[in-house]
Amino acid sequence: MTAMRVDAKVVMLGKESVGKTSLVERYVHRRFLVGPYQNTIGAAFVAKALNVGDKVVTLGIWDTAGSERYEAMSRIYYRGARAAIVCYDLTDSSSFKRARFWVKELQNCEEHCKIYLCGTKSDLIEADRSVRQVDFHDVQDFADEIGAQHFETSSKTGKNVDEVFQKVAEDFSSCALEFMQEEKGVDLGQKKDSYFDNCCHN
Amino acid sequence: MAADVHNKGVSWEIKNGNLAPSDRLRQDRSDSPTPGLVEGTEPGAGQEGAMFVHAQSFEDLTADSESNTDNKSAEVGDSNPENAQKAALEGGEEEVQEESLEAEQEEVGKEEVQSSNKAKEEDVTSETWRSHRKHVFVLSEAGKPIYTRYGTEEALSSIMGVMMLLMSFVEDKKNTIRSIHADGYRVVFLRKSPLILVGVFRTSCSDRELTRELHYVYYQIVSLLTLTQLNHVFQNRQSYDLRRLLAGSEHLTDSLLRLLDRDPGLLLSAVMCLPLASSARDVVSSSLQAAKAKNLVFSILLAGNRLVTLVRKKDQFLHHMDLHLLFNLVVSSSSFREGEGWTPICLPKFNPAGFFHAHISYLEPASDLCLILVSTDREDFFNLSDCKKRFLERLRRRSAYQSLQEALNMPSYPVSQVGIPELRHFVYKSKSSGLYTSPDLPAPYQEEEEHERLMGLYQHLHSCLHNPTRPLRYIYRCAETENLYALVTSGFELYLCFSPLGTKGLAVSAVNKLLKWIRKEEDRLFILSPLTY
Repeated sequence: MTAMRVDAKVVMLGKESVGKTSLVERYVHRRFLVGPYQNTIGAAFVAKALNVGDKVVTLGIWDTAGSERYEAMSRIYYRGARAAIVCYDLTDSSSFKRARFWVKELQNCEEHCKIYLCGTKSDLIEADRSVRQVDFHDVQDFADEIGAQHFETSSKTGKNVDEVFQKVAEDFSSCALEFMQEEKGVDLGQKKDSYFDNCCHN
Repeated sequence: MAADVHNKGVSWEIKNGNLAPSDRLRQDRSDSPTPGLVEGTEPGAGQEGAMFVHAQSFEDLTADSESNTDNKSAEVGDSNPENAQKAALEGGEEEVQEESLEAEQEEVGKEEVQSSNKAKEEDVTSETWRSHRKHVFVLSEAGKPIYTRYGTEEALSSIMGVMMLLMSFVEDKKNTIRSIHADGYRVVFLRKSPLILVGVFRTSCSDRELTRELHYVYYQIVSLLTLTQLNHVFQNRQSYDLRRLLAGSEHLTDSLLRLLDRDPGLLLSAVMCLPLASSARDVVSSSLQAAKAKNLVFSILLAGNRLVTLVRKKDQFLHHMDLHLLFNLVVSSSSFREGEGWTPICLPKFNPAGFFHAHISYLEPASDLCLILVSTDREDFFNLSDCKKRFLERLRRRSAYQSLQEALNMPSYPVSQVGIPELRHFVYKSKSSGLYTSPDLPAPYQEEEEHERLMGLYQHLHSCLHNPTRPLRYIYRCAETENLYALVTSGFELYLCFSPLGTKGLAVSAVNKLLKWIRKEEDRLFILSPLTY
């Protein structure tokens, strides 16, 4: 039924205009669009395959709209997600508050979802240190507390962007490996049992 | 204005066998004694019934609010019994406004909504701000600003307060304010609880035309939130700042207002098709029909703001206005170019209470062809994504994709193809199909300003034809730079623009010739056999 083979569902979350779409745009299309800000409508889905070691992992990335109007819908986007990239704007402290909200939401509803905190627009900080409103160490402490990874990225320069998604894919891959081995063993045994059940007892 | 208006027998209504449909069409179309004149047999009429909810004109757009459709504006102090009755129905809302003004002052600065960095940073005290031709304001019943076309809402809270005051002052006298005419301006009020819309226009259009535009803005907002949610929000808190929920959607309303100035489809309540050989369109339609899913209700293929094809679930009809809202969503958002879009959307004319879920994507990244699949199930994304895949595969297998792409790259058609001297432009709407056709804009009207001026002229003719107290069947108007002729029958509506050298006789005889031409070309210009799944 599923149209494309997607290994891992990844969801982008965060306040509006923090740059979720730009991050995806940079990663998938390798470009940064300059121009008036355009908000995402609903959510956009893109699939992207990448190499992890000698394997290919396909990430299904859900770029969600940050607008409050879609909040009620956000559940359908992050349900079953293996990773959530929670974005905040390094130059906007209120966006980090919003990031905390999403983290809490995920902890409550999707405990198997790995969280990646991602501070965006780091190029602005490099140009002028005084515009930083979210302290690196504060976020690092928060990340340690919730067991999340922490990155600071710039979609404009491409800094750290690939690293975030690469890390997501690697984590998924190593995690999936464990899952698969376990399941294989159990699966075989189960099949045997059920086979005998069907033949002998009926 | 030199207007020449006739209401007597229409000379071109002659029995002309030449308007008979071409061979491939069903025979019963030519059996009609006056082909092309009776609704359902006019050129462009669909063979298998309408594709849209039947829409005569904007009457059905505004009908729900205009129980008493007299066109007079209620002046202050006017004690028209009809108005009084209406006001009485809406009584009991005065108290709300009193507290609202206080509430507004309290809340200023409390819930600051980050307004996007669009070209809105216009000084509202400046002369340029005043000189805009069309201002549109939306406010809540508590007087809180929700939207302004120019400038920022914050800067305008006092002006909106005055609007609110005017409205409640008149309502206090058990009356309803519709419009104020002064100094070349028209201020039009529309109450669509829980919202209030006010338009300040520098135009000669009738109040009805202007109210229609405000209705569009209202439905645009409903399409984002649903009426249920809108009511719910304000029931919980009268002073709620709706901009929180609408954040980021301002450009949709901006673009809708631009469309209203330019697209005759919104004026005529009709949709334009991409001219396409009927064989190619049939392949596209049937491919789309085959790519169905359980909860799919509408499949729509767009080329810019033109319709390529529309396939719908049996017995479900789309309202042309809902389609225009979808058009507007697609053309004004780059968001769908980045991947496959999946968004809740309310189609307010279909049902204002709930959301559909739309899968929106371009067939190719650089293409203008946009596919919209509308489902009732919010979990349907991958099913619909699969539908799109199947549709594309089928198109390619039958090599229809190429011809579609070619049709897209060509301009629509020049008016010279019709072969009528002095004819510059026309708009023809087939009433039964809800579709219209129009040639490319010729040289003098390609500039934005002239384009809008021509649309303004059409709009004026439209309001003359559809005047509620004195409707006209046709009107000829000589203006300085062009001569215009418009007519309406039970089957179609036609607007013609001639050069100033054209004469009335020429205009009248042109109609016949044009209808014949449209009949000949109808399977290319219209969708004659809409499909369902």
